[in-house]
Amino acid sequence: MIRKITVFLVSIAILWGGCEGTKDSTGRTTEIDFIFRARYDDKPLVRYQRYDYDTHWVDFFRFNAYMSNLALIRSDGGVVYLSPIEWVDFTPDDARTDTAVDVAIKLRAPEGNYVGIRLGYGVPPGLNAKQPKDFPAGHPLSRENEYWIGWKGYIFNKIEGHVYLNKDTTLRAGLVYHCGSDAVFREYTFNLPIRVEPGAPAIEITFDLKKLFYIDGKWLDLRDPYNQITSNDFNDVVIATKLMNNFRSATKVTQP
Amino acid sequence: MRKFLLYSWLSVIILSGLLLGQGCKKDASIEEKGDLMHIPYDPKPYKIIKPPHFPEVPVPPDNPMTVDGVQLGRRLFYDPILSADSTQSCSSCHMPHLSFTDGLPVSVGIDGIAGRRSSMSLLNIAYATNGLFWDGRVRTLEEQALLPVEDPIELHNTWPNVIEKLKKHPVYPELFRKAFGIRDREEITKELAAKAIAQFERILISSGTSRFDRFLQGDLDALDDEELDGKLMFFEEGARAGLPDAQCFHCHGGFTLTGNQYFNNGIDEASTLDDFKDKGRGPISGRRTDNGKFRTPTLRNIALTAPYMHDGRFQTLEDVLDHYSSHGKNSPNKDPLIDQIGFLIPGSNPPKYTGLTPYQKRAIIKFLHTLTDTAFINNPDIQNPFK
Repeated sequence: MIRKITVFLVSIAILWGGCEGTKDSTGRTTEIDFIFRARYDDKPLVRYQRYDYDTHWVDFFRFNAYMSNLALIRSDGGVVYLSPIEWVDFTPDDARTDTAVDVAIKLRAPEGNYVGIRLGYGVPPGLNAKQPKDFPAGHPLSRENEYWIGWKGYIFNKIEGHVYLNKDTTLRAGLVYHCGSDAVFREYTFNLPIRVEPGAPAIEITFDLKKLFYIDGKWLDLRDPYNQITSNDFNDVVIATKLMNNFRSATKVTQP
Repeated sequence: MRKFLLYSWLSVIILSGLLLGQGCKKDASIEEKGDLMHIPYDPKPYKIIKPPHFPEVPVPPDNPMTVDGVQLGRRLFYDPILSADSTQSCSSCHMPHLSFTDGLPVSVGIDGIAGRRSSMSLLNIAYATNGLFWDGRVRTLEEQALLPVEDPIELHNTWPNVIEKLKKHPVYPELFRKAFGIRDREEITKELAAKAIAQFERILISSGTSRFDRFLQGDLDALDDEELDGKLMFFEEGARAGLPDAQCFHCHGGFTLTGNQYFNNGIDEASTLDDFKDKGRGPISGRRTDNGKFRTPTLRNIALTAPYMHDGRFQTLEDVLDHYSSHGKNSPNKDPLIDQIGFLIPGSNPPKYTGLTPYQKRAIIKFLHTLTDTAFINNPDIQNPFK
C-alpha cells in the first residue's frame, strides 16, 4: 500500500513538475498584436490629400494588401510561423474619415525573445493557385474582388491615386498599381529584437508610400505613362516588380 | 459546525429546487398560452446551391438557412400584404424575369411617386457584404428588408400595420411557427419577417450555366471569337492578342462580377466634391471624398437589367460602352481607370487613351451577353408562389 501511495505521489510530482516546466519554457504561447500602418513621408496617409513627390504632387485613395507567411525568427535561426495570410486594408469603404486606418491583427506566438520577423508580400504561390471558392466565407482569400480571373491568381495589393504633373491640377493622371502573379511575390526578413510575453507592446509594421516610389536612389518617374499603371500583359510585370522589390525599404518594423 | 454545514447545503438544495420549479412553471405557462404550439417545429437546414466555381455563400450565424425560413421569405417577398394598399410587394421592383430588377429608370412606389434611384438586381446578393443599396446605407440583407416597407415612396406602410395583418392572416402564423419556432402569433415581429426575406434572397444565386460559366468550367467553345475578344479586354488580358484594356474587371471583379465596392465612374460632371446632384455614398460614409460614388452592380444578367446606372440614364449597353469609351465626365474623385480605357496615345502628356473602337465595344457587349443566365431566371424555386 505504502509503495502504491509512493508511486502515486511520485507520479503526481513528476506530472506537476512537467507542467511547471512547460509553463516556464518557450512552449507557452501568448497573444501578440500586430499593427499595420500606412504613411506618406512618415505622416498618416490621408485619402486624396496631395503630397509632394519630386517636382509633382501625388495623392492616394486606395491602399490594401495581402500579407502572408508572417513569422518570427528565433536566435538559432529557426522560424515560427504565425499566419499564412492576412488581409490588410488601410482604406476600407466603411471608414469614417479619410485618414488611413491602422489595421490590428492578433496572433498567438510562443513566448520568448526573437531576433527578427519575416513577412510575405502578396499571396505565396501555393495559395495563389487556389480560388476564392476554396476558402470558407470570411477567409481573407475568399474575397472575390481580389481574385483576378484573367490572370488566375490574386491581386497582391492595390495602390491607387493620381499624379499632378509639375504640381498643376490640370495635368492630372491616374496611378493604378495592381500587383500580382507568382513572379512578384516577395518575402523579406527584418532583424530586430522582438519580445513575446503577456503585455508586450504591439509589433508595428509601417508602409511608407513615399519610400515605396523612391527606388534605387531616385524617384520613379511618374511622367512616364508606363510607370503610372501596372500592365495588362501577364509577361510584363516591370512596374509591379519594381514596387514589390522596393516594399522592403518602404517597410519599417518596430516594437516600442 | 457540521450541523451548520448540513443546514446550509439543505437550504441551497431547497432554494435551487424552488427556483427550478418557478422556472418550469413560467415556461409551462407560456407554452400553454401559445396558440401555435400544436404545429410541429422541425427546422431543416436549407442547402444553398451554388456553381462549383463560386465562393461559399456567407450566411450570418444568427439567421441560419432553413427550408421553412426560405419558403416564408419567398411568400413574403411576393406578397403585396407588405404595402399599405396591398398593391405592391418586394417583387414589384425585383422581378425574376428581369433578374430581379423592374426595367424602369427609377422605381415607382404605391402612390405613383418615382424614387430617385434604379432598382438593383438581387442576383447573387448574398455575396454583397460591403453594404447594400446603391449607397451602401445598410450592411445586411436583414437590415435592408426592413426599409422599403416604411419608405413613403415605396411600400408606404408601417411595420406595426404589417405585423397586425400577418398575425390575423390565416396562413402566416403557421409559417412563422415552422420557420422560427414561435409559440404564439403574438411573437411575429418585423425582425423575423426580415430574416425570412433575407433567407429567400440568399438563394438567388447564379445557376452556373451561362455561356461564360461554361467557358470558365472548361468548355472553350462556349464563347465565339468575338466574345472571347470581349472577355480578354474585360479581364485585362488582351495585350498578347493586340487588344486594349477596357479596365472593366477592376470594379466588376470576381466570379459574381461585382466587387461590391464604391466608385465614381465618371457619369456626372462636378467641379468640386460638393457639386454632385446625387451624392451617393458620401452622405452615408460621412466622407466628402465619397460623394458621387455608387456601389458596383453585378454584370451577371446585365443584358436583362436595362436601363443602367443608379438613375437609369443609359437605355442600352451600347450607351454604357459609349460612356466608358469616352472616358466620361470629369470630377475630383473620378476613378482614374475610366481615363485609362483603350491604348495609350503616344506622346500625350498627361497621357490620353484611345477609348474603344466600334468592334471592341461590340465584342465587349457580346461578351456581356454571355453572362445571361436563363436557368436562374426560370428557376421554379424562386418564382412567385401565388401564381
